[in-house]
Parts: sequence; C-alpha cells; structure tokens
Amino acid sequence: MLVWSRSGRLVLWALFALVFGVLFLAPLAVILLSSLAGQWNGVLPSSLTTAHYGDVLHGSAGDAVKASLVTGFLASALALVSGTWAALSLRLQGHALRRLLGLLFFIPSAVPSVSVGLGLLVAFSNPPLLLNGTVAIVMVAHFVLISAFTFGNVSAGLARLSPDFEQVASSLGARPGYRLWHVTLPLLAPYLVAAFGLSFALSMGELGATVMVYPPGWVTLPVSIFSLTDRGDVFAGAALTMILVVATLALLLGLERVAARASGS
Amino acid sequence: MSAAAFTGTNVMDIDAAKVRGAGSNVHFDKVSVAYGAHVVLHPLTLDIAPGEILAMIGPSGSGKTTALRAVAGFVRPASGRIRIGATDVTDLPPYERGLGMVVQNYALFPHMRVEDNVAFGLRAQGADRALIAERVRDALGTVGMSAFAKRLPRELSGGQQQRVAIARALAVRPRVLLLDEPLSALDAQIRRNMVEEIAKLHRDLPGLTILYVTHDQTEALTLADKIAIMRDGRVCSHGPTGELYRRPPNRFTAEFLGRANLLPVTVVEAAGGKGFARAALGDTTLASAGRDEKAGDRSLLCIRPQHLSLTDEGGHSNRISGLLREVHWQGELTHLVLDVDGTAVRVSTTRLPIALPEAGTRLPLFFAPADTSLVPEDAGV
Amino acid sequence: MSEAAVIGARPARVETGKFWILPPAALLALLFFYPLALIARQAFFDDSGMANVAEVTRVLHSRFFLNALINTVSISVAATAGCLIVGLVLALILAFVPFPGSRFVARLIDTFIALPTFLVTLAFTFLYGSAGMLNAGLMEAFSLPLPPVNFLYSSWGVVLAEVTVYTPFILRPLLAAFSLVDRGQIEAASVLGARPLRIVRQVILPAAIPALIAGGSLCLLLTVNEFGIVLFIGAKGVITLPLLIYGKAIQESQYQVACIIAVINIALSLGLFGLYRFAAGRLGA
Repeated sequence: MLVWSRSGRLVLWALFALVFGVLFLAPLAVILLSSLAGQWNGVLPSSLTTAHYGDVLHGSAGDAVKASLVTGFLASALALVSGTWAALSLRLQGHALRRLLGLLFFIPSAVPSVSVGLGLLVAFSNPPLLLNGTVAIVMVAHFVLISAFTFGNVSAGLARLSPDFEQVASSLGARPGYRLWHVTLPLLAPYLVAAFGLSFALSMGELGATVMVYPPGWVTLPVSIFSLTDRGDVFAGAALTMILVVATLALLLGLERVAARASGS
Repeated sequence: MSAAAFTGTNVMDIDAAKVRGAGSNVHFDKVSVAYGAHVVLHPLTLDIAPGEILAMIGPSGSGKTTALRAVAGFVRPASGRIRIGATDVTDLPPYERGLGMVVQNYALFPHMRVEDNVAFGLRAQGADRALIAERVRDALGTVGMSAFAKRLPRELSGGQQQRVAIARALAVRPRVLLLDEPLSALDAQIRRNMVEEIAKLHRDLPGLTILYVTHDQTEALTLADKIAIMRDGRVCSHGPTGELYRRPPNRFTAEFLGRANLLPVTVVEAAGGKGFARAALGDTTLASAGRDEKAGDRSLLCIRPQHLSLTDEGGHSNRISGLLREVHWQGELTHLVLDVDGTAVRVSTTRLPIALPEAGTRLPLFFAPADTSLVPEDAGV
Repeated sequence: MSEAAVIGARPARVETGKFWILPPAALLALLFFYPLALIARQAFFDDSGMANVAEVTRVLHSRFFLNALINTVSISVAATAGCLIVGLVLALILAFVPFPGSRFVARLIDTFIALPTFLVTLAFTFLYGSAGMLNAGLMEAFSLPLPPVNFLYSSWGVVLAEVTVYTPFILRPLLAAFSLVDRGQIEAASVLGARPLRIVRQVILPAAIPALIAGGSLCLLLTVNEFGIVLFIGAKGVITLPLLIYGKAIQESQYQVACIIAVINIALSLGLFGLYRFAAGRLGA
C-alpha cells in the first residue's frame, strides 16, 4: 500500500472513479441507454422502448449478425491454423531466419486496415484471381488483419512451454507428428483458444478493411452500424452496437471457459 | 509405503528379470559440444558399463547436463561419437535411441492421467493394448504408485510426481535411464527418501544402466557405482565412488566430493611398496598414503573432518596441533575450526572432552595415516 | 553455459523440418505482401508502366494530403500522450492503492481491447454531441440557445475517443510491470519516511519506463492507423490519412491517388512498428 492516510486513498479512489466513469463506464452505459431510448430530447430519454431491437432484428440486422459471425469464424479458424502452423514451423528454422520471418508474420498487424483493403482491391480485381465483389475478399481481409495476432499469441504460448515436455516425449520414443498431436498441441490449447477468441473479437469489430472491400449482400455488423448512424438512425445503430458487444463478450466468455477447461484448472 | 512395492511381489520379480538383460553400456568417444565459438564440453571419452550407475557431478555450467543431453539426442556433438550398446546413436533422433529420461521438474504431461503418462512411450511406439496395460501396472507397482493411476499430475505431491516420472521412463524398458537432477526440486526430507528408493530400484533392476546428473555430492556418494566430476566442460576425475572419495586425484575433487582439509606439506620420503609416504608440515613429520610423489615435492595432505580426533584413543600415529577458533555444537555432531600453521582445519566429531574447549586454546589433533592421501599441489584442470 | 543455452542447442536432424514454414509463408506472401507490392507499383507507375513522378509530386504537395498528414500525426501524438497519462494514473491506483473490486475493474478495462473502436465515438455523440446529454443539460440549466460544448467535432473529439480506446494498451503492460515491483521495497521506503510521490518517482517509475515506452510506441502506431473513430465522428475538418485513402478510393474512385497516400501511410506505420519492436525488444517489455 503506497498511500497510508485514509483521506489520501479516498481522494485517489474518487479520481479513479471519475476517470473510469467518464472514459469507460459512461460510453457503455449511454450506448445501452440509447439503444432503449424512445423519445430523447432532454438530458435523459423521456421513455424507454425495445422497439429498436425489434426494428433492427426485423430489418437487415439478422443478415449482418450472420455475416459477421461467419466471417469471424472462418477468418479466425484460418488464422488459427496458419498462425499455429507458422509459429510451430518457425522453431525449426535457424536463428537469423527465425527472427526475420517472425517479424514478417507480425507486419500485417502494423499496416493500416484501410491500406490492407486497398491492396486487396488492387491485387484481386482482375482474373485469374478475381475476388473483388465476392464474400471471399472479406474473409481474406479479415484473415490478413488478424493472422498476426494468432501468430503472436501462439508464439507467446510456445515460448512459455517448457522444452522438457517435448524432450521427454521424444526420449520416450514419440516421433515428431505423434509428439505434436499428443503433447505440444494439447499443452498449447489454452493459447489456441485465447488466440481464436481475440481474433474473433477483432474480426467482429473490423471496419477499415471491410468498408473497402465488402460486396453488396455481405454487410457485417460494423458496416451496417455505420450506415445506420450515417443515415441518422442513431438509436437503431446503438441497438445494433449492443448486439455486437453482447455477441463479442458472450463469445469471449464462452471461450474463456473452454480455455480454462483445456488448461485443466 | 513404496517399500512394499520394492520388496518382491511376483510381478516385480518378473519385471526385474526382464530388465536385467536389457542394460547397455554408454560410450562417449571424444564427444565435444560447442555453441558457436563457445565450447561447453571439451572432448570427452568415458564409458558407462552395463548396469552401472554413473553420477556426473559438478557445479552449474560444468557441462554435465550437456553430456546427458548429448546422450539423449537434444544436443548434437560438434565432434566425436556416442554409442549405446553396439549402436552408434550420434546421428539418431532422440525417439530412436531407446532411452528413458527423468528431468528436474518431472515434466509429467498435465493433461494426462498418471496411467496415461506412464503409457505414453509405449503408445507412441505403437505397442499393443495388453502389453501397455501390463507394463503400466508393473512400472507403477515398481515405484509404489499403483493406487494413483487415475489421478492427474497436479493432484500429486512433488515426490509422487517424481515417482510417476520414473515409472514413465521405466515402462518403455529403456536401455539407459537418464536422470537429470531428478531430486533437486524436492524438499530435503523427501529427497533423502527418494535417494534411498532409487538405490532400491537399482537393486531390483540391476541390469539398468543409469546416467545420473546432479550437483549434490550426497546423492552421488549414496547412489553411484562410479562418479565423474566435471569442471569447465571437462572431466576432472572419474572412478569408483569409494576410491574417488578416499584418494581424490586432485584438489577440486577433494573439495567437491565431501569436505576436505588440505594441509600444504613437503614430501620427505616417497611411499615405497605398501608403506606410507612421509611428509613435513612445518616441523612435524606426518605419515600419509601416497601416490607417486617424490621426495621434495610440494603436495597437499588431504584429511576428512570426521577422521580428525581430539584424543589418541585409536592409537593414531599422526599428531598435529592448532589454535581453536570456532566451536559449533549441532547436537549429534560438533564442528570445530582450528588454525594449524595458518591453514583453517575443520574437525567433525561425535566425541568431545567433558567440557567444551574454549576458543583460543591450543588443541592436539590425531589421525590415522590410512585416512589420509596426498593430493598434487598444482591440482585441478 | 546456462541451462537456457543447453535448451537452445540444435537438436539432431532438423533439416527436414525447414520446409514446413512454406505453406503459411506463401499464404502471407500472396494475400498480404503481393497486394502491398501492387499498391507501391500503382502509386509510382502509370498504366503503361512509366514512372509517374508528376502525379506523386502533385499529391504530396496537395493541401488535402498535407492537412491529413498533419492531422494524423498531431492526433496520434496527443492521443498517445493522453493514453500515457491516464494509463499511468489508473495503473498506479489499481496496483498500489487497490480497492475492493479493483481486479475486476482492471479486467473490465482490459475487455475494451476486444470491443470495436467506433463504439466509443457513437457513445460520445450521445454524451457530448450537439444534441447530447451534456449539451442538453447545459442548455436546460442555463437557458442557452445554442449547444455550448462543441469539441466533439474537432480533433479533440477524436483524441478523447482514442484515449478511451487505447489506454488499455498502456494499462496492460504497466500492470504487468507493477506486479513485479517489490512491495517490500515500497514498504521499506515508507517506513524510512519517503512520501508517496517520492516513492513513485524513485522506485515505481523506473520499473514502469520500459512498459511506458513499449506501450506508448504501440499507441502511436495504432492511433496513426485508426479509422473507425474518425469515420464515425464524421467531422469535415478532421481527415486523417486512412480516412483520406478511403475517401479517394471508394468515394472518388481515384485509386492511384489512394495508393500514393497509402504508401506514405504504410511507411509511417512501419516506421512506428519498427520503433515499437525496438522498444519492446530492447527493454524486454
């Protein structure tokens, strides 16, 4: 304990509550409130309603939720496979190559998402690789943007894994494939699940690359929230944002459970 | 509890018989290991006989773990060959070497139950179910862990985990068992028990060749048939345990293996035949077991603290005297530190004069020539 | 020789494994580096393959580009400074003056990393927008004819939103660093009569500096790349490089101009990424 006087602590806690309230709590609360607002002309809404949720769910929101979930799932699954594969096979490289490739696998996380979208438009608008206008280009954009995070998470997990496990397995006669499947991957499971969850969440909220490349008929949640608020339909936008937040948090919490079970704690 | 498991059920006897013939020798032939320009193991030539326990001891960084990992196949020698039995394993991957390995932190697979951990090696090698079941039962019985087959590793204590790790290594019927600091993560009390159990294990499985790496000289002295003492990437001495302790070939060995008083002496008369050499410590002439010293050589007379006595009851022929500096009474043992001609000499004794002597008094010390040895002055590597 | 060095030694027979890296590397090359290379080609060469210096110079000297560049950099620097200050204050309280539930609050802030960035902007329009709660309250209370609070539609609105969104990226490494600070050292200093500010300056801050540098450079990178917040605020005067790329490519179909700006933006981002990697690697954060 750094501050011993009670008054000093209370002042600091009040400061914390103020900052936390203004920056973090108020935004979430006000999104929730506005998603339920009927009439809102004064400081607070004069009436509450669930009509916005009904409206968005009867409108195109169902499609947006589906598009986001499918995109998120496929892109995250592909990123998980590719990121895990990359992290595992990177261990077999020499020191210099390992550093270089490790850096290259991280770079997609550093490039602005809009530029990733622009690059895909430029690269894949002509045959033989004509992806522009298809659902696939959205998946690819999300995959590129989240692949670095899965790679990073799995690499971090591998770095924490004691080499003893794999070495003992080898000494007992386990060939590399058997060892990978029965020892390395199960021990990495918590990191794999966490990586999948984080990339799913990132994909669910991705906007920059998606607005560049999305085809009509595959409008993700962030894009449709933007078009709702851009039209001035802010309450429906808030309702859809709440759906996005709840879906993301439910997903993360669910996966956290799975991870806890996988790590056996 | 594991005593019952070790003292011969029928399963045990069969088990021991099967393993008895299985031990192989391990041969290091000029094996060296380097990381870039940094040599961690200088060319090492060493043989571990079938059924022998060789303890490699030395301070950390001495290369002992590197030598073990070279046998396991995790470290590739920069030069030299390693043979296990008739097989040159230098270029074989770890999983084709037929070894069992136990590491300091047990490395039990946390997601597998005890029985699955023990079955791991056999499953990985594609053994059939009946054989796996039988071997798992035997191996768990051998280490006294049969009752814990369905537990997960995290539900076991450290000592129990280490037993399971040993069972896991035994289940594959290894040609050589590699133990890499297997007890250093355990509490002192449990460690003593485990040392005794490993000793029993080896009595029950006498054919099993064991390479035991440790920094703890007590474990080595208790368990090993032979000891190799490592220092700075080289073997600085290698030989049967008792001989290495009684006749240390150099100063480092004398001081690393047990406690030793080393008195600087000058050889007066070389040892001839079975007789003792005579050496001068100041004005005093002492008799000591010698090697090949010549008269006039400077040497170190090695005498263990427990071999020094304050009285001449045993009819000891060597006598020196020193100024008492410190007395530490520890119940069973009393440790004294004396100043003998400027050298601090330690004495451990169970028998004391009726009154504890006080610091500052001059005391005589007696010891038998048979308990001494001469260690070369320019010792070490 | 340390134990770690032993572990790092070459295992036997690794050569066959070298090729396993090819599938993920090829995927990354095709889907990421190839498009990146095409952006550069489109930026510097016209359709006939001639170097296109005139167009590049024109864009780089244009008012819209320079404004966007200045906006991007100044918003990024201001937001990062804000994140560092807010993150440091919050982390100090969470770590050293904990209150019941502080762990839960720390985790709650952490989940903001997973939420979409534009959520905060949307919320801010309800809070501080011209018809938002704050302005409505002030107009009611003081009978004002016009909304008195207008910062949301300036750079400051973007900065505030980015501070909210990116403070968790500072908080996370800071809390990790603080958990390693020896509590006994702080107690000993307190017993010796050191005041809290002195302990913060002499004991805690030195431990936090690696985390602050690594987190700060990550914040610079992320705020330069931020798109959703700026798009949602939709203020005419606040155009950043990513927004300009979007506008040129999608709304005006000027792909070449978009690519030229993208090259500059990517170069800026990669520079900051290098800084981040250097800081994180150098300081072990």
